[in-house]
Amino acid sequence: MADLMRRSLLAGTAGLALQSLGASEVLAQGTPRRGGTLRISVDQAASVIHPLRTRVNPEHMIAELCYSNLTTLTTGMAPLPDLALSWSANADFTEWTFKLRPGVKFSDGSPCTAKDVAATYVAILDPKTASPARAIVSMIKEPVAVDDETVLFRLNTAYADLPATAAVFGTRIIPAAIATGDLARLSRESVGTGPFKLATYEPDRLIVLERNPHYFIPEQPYLDRVEIRVYPDSSAETSALLSGDNDLMAITAQSEFGRLKNVRGVDALQVPSGQFLNINMGCDAKPFNDLRVRKALSLCVDRDALVGFVALDAGKPGDDVPVNSIYRYFKKEPAKKVDIAQAKKLLAEAGYPDGIDLTLIASDNPGTRTQLAVAVREMAKPAGFRITVQTMPHAAYLDQVWKKGSFYIGFYNTQQTVDGVFSLLYTSNAAWNETRWNNAAFDALVAEARHTSDEAKRTEIYGKAQDMMYAETPSIIPLFFDLLAGKRSYVKGYALHPRGHIYRFEKVWLDDGAPKRG
Amino acid sequence: MTLAWLLRRFFTVLYTLLVVSVLVFGLTQILPADAAVTLLGENATPAALAAVRERLGLGDPAWLQYWHWLSALLQGDFGTSMRTSQPVGPAMFTALGRSLLLGGASLVVMLVIAVPLGMWAALRRGKAADLMSSLVSYLGVSFPEFVTATLLLIVVADYFQLLPATGYVPPGEDLADSIRHLILPVVTVSLIMVAHVSRMVRSETIDVLNSDYIRAARLKGLPPRTVLLRHVLRNALLPTVTIVALDVGYLLGGIIVVEEIFAIPGIGRALIVAITSRDLPSIQAGAVIMAATYAVANTLADIAYVLIDRRIRYD
Amino acid sequence: MTDALHRLLRTPQGVLGLGLLAVLVLACLLGRSLAPYSPEAMDFAGRFAPPGARHWFGADQLGRDVLSRLLVGASSTIPLAVAATFSGALVGACVGTLSAYLGGRWDEAITRTIDAVMAIPHLLLALILVSTLGKGSTNAALAIAISVAPSMARVTRSVALSVRQQDYVKAAIARGEGAGWIVLREMLPNVAAPLIIEATIRVAFAVMLFATLSFLGLGAQPPASEWGLMISEARRFMHQAPWILVAPALAIATTAICFNLLGDGLRDALNPRDER
Repeated sequence: MADLMRRSLLAGTAGLALQSLGASEVLAQGTPRRGGTLRISVDQAASVIHPLRTRVNPEHMIAELCYSNLTTLTTGMAPLPDLALSWSANADFTEWTFKLRPGVKFSDGSPCTAKDVAATYVAILDPKTASPARAIVSMIKEPVAVDDETVLFRLNTAYADLPATAAVFGTRIIPAAIATGDLARLSRESVGTGPFKLATYEPDRLIVLERNPHYFIPEQPYLDRVEIRVYPDSSAETSALLSGDNDLMAITAQSEFGRLKNVRGVDALQVPSGQFLNINMGCDAKPFNDLRVRKALSLCVDRDALVGFVALDAGKPGDDVPVNSIYRYFKKEPAKKVDIAQAKKLLAEAGYPDGIDLTLIASDNPGTRTQLAVAVREMAKPAGFRITVQTMPHAAYLDQVWKKGSFYIGFYNTQQTVDGVFSLLYTSNAAWNETRWNNAAFDALVAEARHTSDEAKRTEIYGKAQDMMYAETPSIIPLFFDLLAGKRSYVKGYALHPRGHIYRFEKVWLDDGAPKRG
Repeated sequence: MTLAWLLRRFFTVLYTLLVVSVLVFGLTQILPADAAVTLLGENATPAALAAVRERLGLGDPAWLQYWHWLSALLQGDFGTSMRTSQPVGPAMFTALGRSLLLGGASLVVMLVIAVPLGMWAALRRGKAADLMSSLVSYLGVSFPEFVTATLLLIVVADYFQLLPATGYVPPGEDLADSIRHLILPVVTVSLIMVAHVSRMVRSETIDVLNSDYIRAARLKGLPPRTVLLRHVLRNALLPTVTIVALDVGYLLGGIIVVEEIFAIPGIGRALIVAITSRDLPSIQAGAVIMAATYAVANTLADIAYVLIDRRIRYD
Repeated sequence: MTDALHRLLRTPQGVLGLGLLAVLVLACLLGRSLAPYSPEAMDFAGRFAPPGARHWFGADQLGRDVLSRLLVGASSTIPLAVAATFSGALVGACVGTLSAYLGGRWDEAITRTIDAVMAIPHLLLALILVSTLGKGSTNAALAIAISVAPSMARVTRSVALSVRQQDYVKAAIARGEGAGWIVLREMLPNVAAPLIIEATIRVAFAVMLFATLSFLGLGAQPPASEWGLMISEARRFMHQAPWILVAPALAIATTAICFNLLGDGLRDALNPRDER
């Protein structure tokens, strides 16, 4: 009975979200029209198109065009049906059942059933596949194909957020024959249930996709073709949108965003996101094992100024808590203010009355890491922090510093859920436990929320967890970035998603104003 | 020019490529962080790293990797990119084609400007025109490509919006647009060489003008135009051929930066991407192809030199 | 030496080059005290301030004074390039002279190998070297030195070949002097003049190569105010604030012009035969 209720509740929210999203967008933008080619520009090469191995946004984009997940996310970050129509869990959230759409076919015409879903998840969980999604879905113990349209996931631990997690990149469903056979094949071609399929692929220049005639929503996609063009130079990419060479710019650099505003026929898109830069401090060794040192540094950081310096005003200040208003269960804390005198005092109490020498490491990708490091260096100077900024190539940073160093700049994208952020970065057993904060009370709160279904109770638990991070500052999170993009006004049905790499191009269409291209 | 001479040149080119490949391979072996790390990025768990290293053949000892690479190369196979899983050879040769288009156009533009400019300056030695041309050449050799390129972008593409800022359009797709996209990169690449070569042409021309046989030709009463075209130009061009051949090395280096700035997917950009992603087969292939281009250009210049030289002797 | 200086001062290039050099040396030595602001002082309200009375060359994305950064940056740009060139030139000169002295098969082998290394474009060699050694000014300078050496070796070899035919070298060989002594004491000093001319012109290239490496993110690192790095950082804002980019660009060009003029001046001053 409880199971049934939960199921209707979850399916209900999904349905509601679908309705609200669909209705508002369609009403605002008229009736979708069939046909045309959409030219999208991206800011880096898509060198990996294997759907289980994509790492960066342009790669996620191509994988989303060619494949489907079990679910996707609304712009409000709630799960929405994709391949799965509905889902339900047992009472303690250790088993989840997904019901698939009937009659779905892969782009090669073969049927897509629960067997393919189970085989895909087995491949993702295999360390040999080296899928980035493995850590994110590691709570799955065993995927089982119950019948053609039903998949059962047995979990290692209680987990209430599986439907949202199933929308993550790297969990695109592929044919079982490929998942258990020649997995490398998908590095060169696409066989998926997505709205498009790969036509030509030149990683550093141009990727062309065409309609998948077998797509499971008959009237979609509206577009005939999608061209993805790679622009390593953000300024050139912006010029190409302004001149009408391209129709949509997936990501706009902050320094270029001003050029899109107040231009006829161009829409500048901006949406707050959970993407943040942080200053990680190793809480397991001197000097950062002392809360007073971490607080002192935190008190030096002028967060409003950093939004200007680092995000060029396209962002929001953060208060050392890794979630913000775009997440469900976010709790607004009072804004942290600069107090140099107090910082000096704390530093002296911690045993550094003459100041402290530190080396802050920043990788060169993205460039905002260095901007933050250089700015914080100056801000912390008056309190007695003598910081040397050391930059290094991203590869060397990942190899030598990341997760190992005790003072460096991190950069993270929006996650699916609050739990996704906490258990990726801040719990003791987090996959990327960089700060080694290792706080048992915090761990307990995160674990408790995983099997709590009551919304009010969950809000309360996550609120407490956020209070702890606000007070103890395992890492300084001074700002969140807004995502920025641009499109020509004749591109309809596109919404910039706070998650960053959810695009939903099957809903996009071109109105009469679009140029006719051969 | 005998067969023996040609054979010798051929073996020199082979030796060059061997030295380059050993050198580059040796250097890439000690690059910090390997392709598996850059490929996996933040998802590099030890298990995943091991799996990817095995897939890429990074576990083998260096000499074995080099041997595999060399023996595959002798069969015309440049290997598979560690970054994109695509074959390296076709990707690199496509990129080389674009670079040659840029480099070739720059070379032609350079010669068309530099040779007349140098000769003109030599004929007007010490006058305003000579000073002007030497001013231009000093400015030319003193702006690094990335500065010239960026300044051109600001003024021509951004402020006046005369030309597209960056990007590459294949000539087969839209010829006019392709040319419009090539103008700024070509100007950037050829500027330094114009400065360099025009100075060389100037000083060679002055030498020739001062030589006895030109004086003799003038004394014979030949019209100045005939003297200039028949004797001066040909003799002054001879050393220029060598200079231009040496400049090809410089040109190839310049192309790296220019392609990066103007977002031209040529071999220079491919190399920068390959180096940052530690894509060893692509670094190897790119470096060897660049060196081969240079060596072949030099050999061609030598042949041209011998040919022109003979014509002069028997004229 | 004073004689050479006199002759250098008689050429227009020499006068102009020495004048510019004086300005650059002044900036390198006194840049920090001449700078009106600290090169790292941020000013939130003054971000992207255009050139004016307050900031002569404007202010950058962090509100830092561009003129001050240029002045302080001189000492992290020019001395390194000069040092890199001359150390590379010295190594190249030793190898080139040795090759000419040894002659025969050794000369052939060394020359062919040098030619082979030269087939890798300078910038590419420097790129790979810096990626291997790690980023940073010192490693960039080392990479420049290494990439300068082969071409200097080639230039030196051709001069040294004619020196080797001179009587005093033949005499030394006849006396039974060691190879090291002959190369270092008899031959090197006599190839010095053309070498210095060549090296001076190469400084201009080294300044540009160093700036290029910094521009590609491999040379000097933030918050340093090395000129190439300044351009690289300013490129993002070239639509908003072109002045942060133009000032260091002109500084690099001026330095390169200075060393090109000096090199040409020296050529005229030290080679009286070559009246061009």
